[in-house]
Amino acid sequence: MAARTLNEDSHKASIAVSEQIKSPVRRRLLRQSIIAYAFLLPTFIFVGLFSYRPVVRALIGAFTAWNGLLPPTWVGLSNFIQLFHDPVFLESLVHIGWWSLIGIPLGMLAAFAAALMIYRLRSMRAQYWFRFLFVMTMAIPGIVGILIWVDFYNPGGAIDLLLNVVGLGRFGTAWLANPQTALWALILMGFPWVSAFALLIFYAGFQGIPTELVDAATVDGATSGQRVWRIEVPLLMPQIKLLIILSIVGISQNLLTPLLMTNGGPENASITPVLYMYQNAIDYDRFGYAMAIAFVIFLVSMTLAIVGMKYIRTGNEQEGNGV
Amino acid sequence: MSMNQARRPKYVIYLLLVMLLVLAAYPMIFMVANALKNGDQYTVNPFSFGVAPPFGQFFVLAWEYLEASFFRTFLIIALSLVGVIGFGMLSAYAFARLKFYGKAFLFYAIFGLLLVPGFLTLIPLFLQIKNMGLLDSDWALILPYIAGGQAFAIFVFRTFVQGIPNELFESARLDGANDFQIFQRIVVPLSVPIMITIGLLNITAIYGDYVWPSLVLAPSQSTVAMAIANFVPPPAIVSVNVVNMQFAAYTLAAVPMVLLFLFFMRYFVAGLTSGAIKM
Repeated sequence: MAARTLNEDSHKASIAVSEQIKSPVRRRLLRQSIIAYAFLLPTFIFVGLFSYRPVVRALIGAFTAWNGLLPPTWVGLSNFIQLFHDPVFLESLVHIGWWSLIGIPLGMLAAFAAALMIYRLRSMRAQYWFRFLFVMTMAIPGIVGILIWVDFYNPGGAIDLLLNVVGLGRFGTAWLANPQTALWALILMGFPWVSAFALLIFYAGFQGIPTELVDAATVDGATSGQRVWRIEVPLLMPQIKLLIILSIVGISQNLLTPLLMTNGGPENASITPVLYMYQNAIDYDRFGYAMAIAFVIFLVSMTLAIVGMKYIRTGNEQEGNGV
Repeated sequence: MSMNQARRPKYVIYLLLVMLLVLAAYPMIFMVANALKNGDQYTVNPFSFGVAPPFGQFFVLAWEYLEASFFRTFLIIALSLVGVIGFGMLSAYAFARLKFYGKAFLFYAIFGLLLVPGFLTLIPLFLQIKNMGLLDSDWALILPYIAGGQAFAIFVFRTFVQGIPNELFESARLDGANDFQIFQRIVVPLSVPIMITIGLLNITAIYGDYVWPSLVLAPSQSTVAMAIANFVPPPAIVSVNVVNMQFAAYTLAAVPMVLLFLFFMRYFVAGLTSGAIKM
């Protein structure tokens, strides 16, 4: 009995002691929390007002009808139902599909080829200078590049004149105002499509390839072409997948190019989903509908990115880290 | 592989690379060449490299056209950077070095913003700015730019601050420094390179932004991107020369970015690839 009481007492005492120890720890954590919140406060004020709030409004707004003047009214899923019967929206999906299918391989191929050629140069100095110069081509702001291409595409512009020179002048047209060519003019803008970003990613990937592997292949008599297809392309798959995902995300979000070059015209021949969202909100005051479009693009591009990320990760595990 | 085989492709590679480079740089070359010509020379042959007398006249006109826009854009960029870098560093310090309640939750709350694309918030943010009465004010750009830059900046800064050796912090604490002193005397000075990287990424993004400023600013308050996209030729200029003045304006608009790239190439490369590594 006595022993038990003693035991209980000491147990109680130890609880009391541990609480005594704990409470200063807790008090210290509380004090540090207050300091931390002070450090975080400006960030959260800004993102709260200008990031979270519009995100919430965007997600709710997709289920409302709203002209910007009267308060929005809840319409449930009807924006989405209307959207999938909207011929312009469906057309815009086809356009973005073509843009991805044609534009992404062209861009990847160009950057891969450029990175490969630079990597094959013996002189490190030459490698450095070519990389430097390709990155410098990116220094020109995107908007300036787009405006110059608008001039190239204008009737009588650089493209038409080039066609004249090679004797194909009869094919000259107002590339951006012709419904047959407007979308393709957007997709093919930026020839020769060497993105310095993709080039740097690929170049870093080449540098990550173990030299023993290449040496072994060379000893076995592999040709340069075999080296590319059997070693370099498979080992650069993580980079390729990464760039495909970033390109899909980039193309689906690209509002600037179609807005400035064609504004989706003529007669929606070059409309894209993001531009259609913009037009619905800014030109037609259909804010709820616009937010529904944004919602759909967001879901689709997120799904594609998540699916792609999964593949990237498995790729990286096989290979180590190329970048 | 014989020597012969190994050597021949090298010429071809150099030749192909130079061709590719010239093609990639061609819009820039075309732009500068035509800014230096007059309208007649442009109409006859836009590919030539003529020079119009008086030399550089269109640059003078383009500068007059863009001057106010340049100052406005630089002011907007400067204030936005103070917010992005300053607030971003403060938060990064908290996430990297302090223990506090709700840390994981708050970190994911910030991290999640990286997944929110700009187009999703474009319309509600526009309506919000309108309701706040901020249309036609520079704050309509600065405040959203500061908010929009936080997530990525915090993410990159946090990794950097975590890499600062622990001994520095411990010895400062022994000397009785509080968190703000540690932040000011240790973290900020050591983080200058990473702040430059993040600063450059934000500068290029803000400088090249056309969609948002064209929504919230009046034409009379154009940023550089707006001014060149919605080009309005001054009445004094002969209409045939408008295109040349336009190219001069494009050239001037490109100059600050080209200079930044020249001086900070290393930081740009670091910044570009840092985004990819994080994925």
